[in-house]
Amino acid sequence: MTVLAFVIIAGPLAGTIAAASGARARPAGWAGTAGACVAFAAACWLLIGQLHRAPLQGFGGFLYVDSLSCFFVFTVAAVTLLAAVGSVGYLSAEEAAGRLTRFQVRLYFIFFGLFASLMLASLETGNLGLLFVLIEASTLASAALVGLEGKASSLEAAWKYVIISSLGVTIALAGTLFLFYSASALHLAPDLRLTWPYLFAHAHALAPDSLRLAFLLAVVGYGTKVGLAPMHTWLPDAHAEAPSPASAMLSAALLNTGMYAIIRFLAIARVGLGDEFPRVVLLVFGFLSVTIGVLFMVRRGNFKRLFAYSSVEHMGIIAVALGFGGVLGLYGALLHTLNHAIAKAVLFLSSGDIALRYRTREAAGVRGLLTVVPLTGGALLLGSFAVLGSPPFGLFLSEFTIVRAGFAGASPALPLLLLGLLAVAFIAFARTTTGMSTGELATSGADGRTSPYRSRAAGLTAAAPVVVGLVALLVLGLWIPAGLNTVILHSMAVL
Amino acid sequence: MQSLSSASVAGVLLDLSGVLILLLAFACLGSKLFNRYVAYYGAQSVVLSFAAGVAAYAFHSPELWILAVATLAIKGIAIPVAARRLLIRRLQLKRDAAMSTGLSTSLIAGGGLTAFAYLVTRPQLLPHGVVAAAVVPLSTAVILLGALAMVVRRHTVAQLIGWLIVENGVFLGAITLVATFPFIVEAGIFLDVVAGVLIMLVFVSGLTRQLASASATELRELQG
Repeated sequence: MTVLAFVIIAGPLAGTIAAASGARARPAGWAGTAGACVAFAAACWLLIGQLHRAPLQGFGGFLYVDSLSCFFVFTVAAVTLLAAVGSVGYLSAEEAAGRLTRFQVRLYFIFFGLFASLMLASLETGNLGLLFVLIEASTLASAALVGLEGKASSLEAAWKYVIISSLGVTIALAGTLFLFYSASALHLAPDLRLTWPYLFAHAHALAPDSLRLAFLLAVVGYGTKVGLAPMHTWLPDAHAEAPSPASAMLSAALLNTGMYAIIRFLAIARVGLGDEFPRVVLLVFGFLSVTIGVLFMVRRGNFKRLFAYSSVEHMGIIAVALGFGGVLGLYGALLHTLNHAIAKAVLFLSSGDIALRYRTREAAGVRGLLTVVPLTGGALLLGSFAVLGSPPFGLFLSEFTIVRAGFAGASPALPLLLLGLLAVAFIAFARTTTGMSTGELATSGADGRTSPYRSRAAGLTAAAPVVVGLVALLVLGLWIPAGLNTVILHSMAVL
Repeated sequence: MQSLSSASVAGVLLDLSGVLILLLAFACLGSKLFNRYVAYYGAQSVVLSFAAGVAAYAFHSPELWILAVATLAIKGIAIPVAARRLLIRRLQLKRDAAMSTGLSTSLIAGGGLTAFAYLVTRPQLLPHGVVAAAVVPLSTAVILLGALAMVVRRHTVAQLIGWLIVENGVFLGAITLVATFPFIVEAGIFLDVVAGVLIMLVFVSGLTRQLASASATELRELQG
């Protein structure tokens, strides 16, 4: 099992190695895809193999894999696989069109693999210091992806991203230090003081003042990476400027990694401080994020920005669900994490296809997709209804669970507010995406009919992850596999 | 656990270095010349490496000695030299005009933040006798001052220095615990800083090539 944990981390590096040794877009992309396949298979194996076993531990607490880690590793590995397949088509089309140089393409695959591998590694460590190190390193790797195109706007987005996130994560490190202080009165074994299972086991004995500060700093710090408002300002820029498969990784994998770090701190804070304080903190940040995300979705314009604000909204929903707590809240939060990740991967990958065909990221420039490219148009339409929580897709189920968790709590005002915001989100989001997929055909500019892909295989790599993702969302809406159900229930026991 | 009380020589030296680091953060906040930012940051890092050396001596920790030397070599010398060569001289930066508030306002705000840092990290928050008493509030204050510098300054180079000051603040806090902080983690943090600086250097010089100046006030293309 320990070997599996390392295989998961090493898998995505295949693309990095291929690109570093000079491969062009297609071979490097296929190497990355193969690596992502291996990582995903290993993640599934780990998920099933660890079902009824004690957490995997080793190397003085540096390696720690419990159900919660397995669940997040599975989510991130799935997204990595979808994005890796999508990268092959997208990058080879960009290279063929001469918009990216060979050097840039190689940089893309180098940093894509690093980024995925660092995120997966951060989910498998039990040492909170190492968690910081890996998350900060993944920030740096992904910043390179954001700034890849080298235009003024993408460099600006990358700068904003790297400086805001680095500051945020550094604040989270300060939170980690305070957690450490809160444990200093206990006579714990020195080398285990930063390891999560040890701290969790002794959470009731931690000094509460210091722990409260630690939790707040961690939520603000890692919340910057999650995109919780008001620390979300880097998010729409970075998502809009990165190449589309990288945007999918940012939205569907990176944000979840940040949320994972918050959940680890939450688990300790719940035991050490009682339910009330963490609840209030998460509800405040959660509702603020949902509100801000929804308000900015009303604005029409760049469709990748629209998807990015929808990520802010959904991360807010997950925070609200964690705040509601209880069996329903936690179950909903975790299920929503997986559903949102797949839905966002689908949306960003189809946005990549649209951007390649129409040479624009403005929603106003895209019309009549269903007629021009039925597959992408359909995926966009279905994907956006899925992400908005319409049945029969998985997000309906998870949002429904979350709202029910809210009604199970003290006041019905909060879930009602959430429902109201979701309704506004539905109108704002669907207004743009339905316009893009139906609507009159554009008369001027690119009409999107010419395929941007050189070969059928490249076109297939653009379509396959979108279709697979949609099918997965549909399945998750109708039936939750028993293994997944067990893993989520076990992860909740950790909380 | 080994601990430093504020009465021991090492404790006093650590407290003193903490105070110096705070003063240098204030100096950086109160200056207007790019050269000075870098010089104050360099000086701060030298003091930090001295503090790490003191802790290394007190705890008899060879890993801490490595960190002290690395801090001196990289944060104290390499980063300031690189910033001066690659950014300040090449971009001909002299006076920083892109500030959102006046110097006196930001200094007063800095004073307020320092007081705030003492309020939230009151000594009773920490179990007694564990760390040199003043270091935790001092490092919190340095973190807040660095963040303030990032908010007040609009120029990308100034923001980069602000982040480095925040990092120094965290590092100061970590030194006092370092006897039990795993070396891999410390080294990882260090590597992250170095990689972060490198990538930020690339972005700043890329931005400068594209825009006439690298001031974040001109970063206006992405809004809403």
